Amino acid sequence: MLEISQLKVFHGVIEAVHGIDVSVSEGQCVSLLGPNGAGKTSTLSAITGTAKSTGSIRLLGEDMTRLSIEERCRKGIAISPEGRRIFSNLTVRDNMLMGGAMRRDRAALLSEIGEWFERFPILGERAGQMAGTLSGGEQQMLAIARALLSRPRILLLDEPSLGLAPQIVAKIFEIIRELKSRGITILLVEQNAAAAIGVSDKVYILNNGRISRQGAAAEFGDGSDLMDELTGVHS
Amino acid sequence: MDYFIQQSLNALSFGAEYALIALGLAIVFSIMGLVNFAHGEVIAFGGYSMVIMGTLLTNNPFVLMVGVVAACVFASVALERVAFRTVRGADLTTGLLTAFGVSIILQNLFLLFGSPRPIAATQFIFLDRTIAIGSIRVSSLQIYETVTTLLAILALMFFLRRTTLGMAMRAAALDFEMVRLCGVRANRVIAGAFAISGLLAGLACIFIMARRGSVQPHMGFDPVLVAFVACVIGGFGSLPGAVLGGFLLGITEVAVLILLPQSAGGLAHAVVFALVALVLIWRPDGILSPAREKGDKI
Amino acid sequence: MRFLPLNSAQRQGLLGSAMLSLLILAIVGAYYLWGESYQARMLYAVFVNLLVVVGLQVFTGNANITSFSHAAFMGIAAYVAAICVTPIAMKAISLPDAPWGLNAFELSALSAALLALLITGLLGLATGLFMARLTGVGVTIVSIAILVIVHSIFLYRTDIFKGNQALFGIPKIFDLPQITALVIVAIFIARAFRESAVGLKLRASADDEVGARAMGVDVFKVRLIAWVVGTLFFATAGIAYAFYLGTISARPFYFNFVFLTVSMLILGGLRSVTGAVFGTLMISMGLELVRWLETGPVISGIKFPEVLGLSGLLLGVVIVAVMAFLPRGIMGNREIEDFVKRKR
Ligand SMILES: Nc1ncnc2c1ncn2[C@@H]1O[C@H](COP(=O)(O)OP(=O)(O)OP(=O)(O)O)[C@@H](O)[C@H]1O
Ligand SMILES: [Mg+2]
Repeated sequence: MLEISQLKVFHGVIEAVHGIDVSVSEGQCVSLLGPNGAGKTSTLSAITGTAKSTGSIRLLGEDMTRLSIEERCRKGIAISPEGRRIFSNLTVRDNMLMGGAMRRDRAALLSEIGEWFERFPILGERAGQMAGTLSGGEQQMLAIARALLSRPRILLLDEPSLGLAPQIVAKIFEIIRELKSRGITILLVEQNAAAAIGVSDKVYILNNGRISRQGAAAEFGDGSDLMDELTGVHS
Repeated sequence: MDYFIQQSLNALSFGAEYALIALGLAIVFSIMGLVNFAHGEVIAFGGYSMVIMGTLLTNNPFVLMVGVVAACVFASVALERVAFRTVRGADLTTGLLTAFGVSIILQNLFLLFGSPRPIAATQFIFLDRTIAIGSIRVSSLQIYETVTTLLAILALMFFLRRTTLGMAMRAAALDFEMVRLCGVRANRVIAGAFAISGLLAGLACIFIMARRGSVQPHMGFDPVLVAFVACVIGGFGSLPGAVLGGFLLGITEVAVLILLPQSAGGLAHAVVFALVALVLIWRPDGILSPAREKGDKI
Repeated sequence: MRFLPLNSAQRQGLLGSAMLSLLILAIVGAYYLWGESYQARMLYAVFVNLLVVVGLQVFTGNANITSFSHAAFMGIAAYVAAICVTPIAMKAISLPDAPWGLNAFELSALSAALLALLITGLLGLATGLFMARLTGVGVTIVSIAILVIVHSIFLYRTDIFKGNQALFGIPKIFDLPQITALVIVAIFIARAFRESAVGLKLRASADDEVGARAMGVDVFKVRLIAWVVGTLFFATAGIAYAFYLGTISARPFYFNFVFLTVSMLILGGLRSVTGAVFGTLMISMGLELVRWLETGPVISGIKFPEVLGLSGLLLGVVIVAVMAFLPRGIMGNREIEDFVKRKR
């Protein structure tokens, strides 16, 4: 579904990612793991079009590299970005409406928003409140819901568990698992290697802008042997 | 008492005009960080269009009003296309200077194709009559102006809160990139902002024309400067701030005119601006400044 | 040169300033050899602009924060100097209603100039204390407000400033030699400032404010110093303006002039003093050419029509084009001596 090859990502003159290949098949959940500064967020930014890159990015065989940010979203790429970036000056409901802003089927959109409110009653209770008043965990759920409301073909999640309490983290991964069971394709960036491997089909380890290891999730066990790679310590 | 009501209306109508123009500046600034100094020339363009339509088409003032508003919307959107798209995402200075360059170009085009002297266009003057409400004599134009502005603000609020594009505009003021990540086209949001800004300029143009009865190349510059200062007082980029700043300026101006002895009438502006300076020392970012750091957009 | 306690950048600064001064002297020399007398006025105006643009470079260039209030400071200095230096007898006619005995005293040219520098400098300090605290965008926006405020005071206190009418009868004190000397001194000072410790810190804070703060740079202090120094340049330009023209009015100290000078700086490249000088010279020459076309000249027997508004139009086009295509200017970060070095 998503085929990335020879991807280099640039922030100004800095090259953050040095030519990586990543592929995600339909219905899969693929993890991209790595230490801080490895280039995970940069990779996702290249996919969404918010960072400059070279190489090829194909979604269902179609080249994305020349498309603008919004066109890529319209082709089916949605992201729950690093730092969540919910619209704190909009209400919770309006944030969700922004997620489906490009959709025509308003009735279906409204009923989907209703479903999200049932799934996360806290969001439902606060539908009319400014989203900036939500807690970190609630904001994360809102960000995921917002991304999914655009009915994407692939969902990019950038460290959804960052800074959250263990129960909330568990809940986030429960959601990911459930999304996967509904057939949604996911590219997951995480620091929490064990949990990420647990929900994934395939795993890539990114280090200093290069893929240092990749394989089926089963090959990585519970991720405990990844400690060195993920803390950036090289033997 | 009558005097008080008259002067209040006076203040409100002054403030309304400033607020209309200030809102036009603020909505564009909030979304793309551009201080659009060519906004005044959009107003002047509306005036010149009125002259042309008045000579070629019709003298029916209501048709002309629609024409003026349409001309301003067109001019505003066209400016974005032609001039401001190249500096989208550039820093404040680049945008500001571009806008000023555009403003000079337009003023001189008006000069080249029009005339440095005022050209009469009196079709809207009928709006300005003295009417009596009970024992109070007031200017009808001031009532129209205040009411129209309030309606425009309400309509804008409805648009920003209830429509997807309006919501996207509010969201874009905070995080434009995230709005684009939601699949909303940047061009639509920006064109929308310029269209609204042009619409507000068109309304302001109608009232300015009703008061002046003539057009001149530089007619838009001073109103926009006052509106700019209103935005600074209210907090640049904040829409409620623009409205508040506009009305505060109007009220202060009238209050200063009333309170100062007649002989010092010319000082009104200076006193108003001195008060502005005080406001800025008290709150450098304006009274209702947006919470975030004002800065680069897109 | 080894005995001078200067680092290599500063020594290069001296070299660069000397080269720019030679350029200025060459222009003045060319005028004295071949120029027509009416061009003196033009050249004088270019040099006043040069003082302003070099002064802009001090704050705007080094701090990379655009400010638009310079015309206000220039105007204040021009008016203070003019009012002080104009003879009492003259002021009885030109400023009959002036309050506070402003038309009842007169000062020598030197004391008038010093007083103008002092007052403008104090205003620069007062505004600077406040400006240096703001964010970059805040400075730009508030500086426009200052410009508008000062201009409206000029316009509405007609008893002191005559508004858009001319304040006339100012004795002519300066001529081309004096302004040439001022320009050269200004170039040396601006360049010295750029290479000084304060200038270096300011440029560092412009590139990376957080980093500079972490290195112990007192951003507030260096910005304030640059702001006040810049103000003194504008004051000098204002004084030079008033001391030459014989009359002043509020109109030139406003937006057109502001944006003209800022465009000069940006066209040249705001990070470099050389850029400030080149930008000023280029735009001045271009505009002079257009102004000449505007009057409907006769070129090889053909009389061209008079086109009002052409120079204004072109100024606008130049500004828009520079912003769209050359936002970093022609010099970028380079100074004049960098070219010489590369050739070697
Ligand atoms: N906007 C930027 N400008 C300059 N450099 C950047 C920018 N964003 C990221 N970088 C650099 O690119 C490299 C990769 O950063 P990136 O954010 O992709 O890492 P990451 O793997 O997401 O790390 P983390 O786990 O901390 O989120 C880092 O060295 C970072 O300093
Ligand atoms: Mg990251």
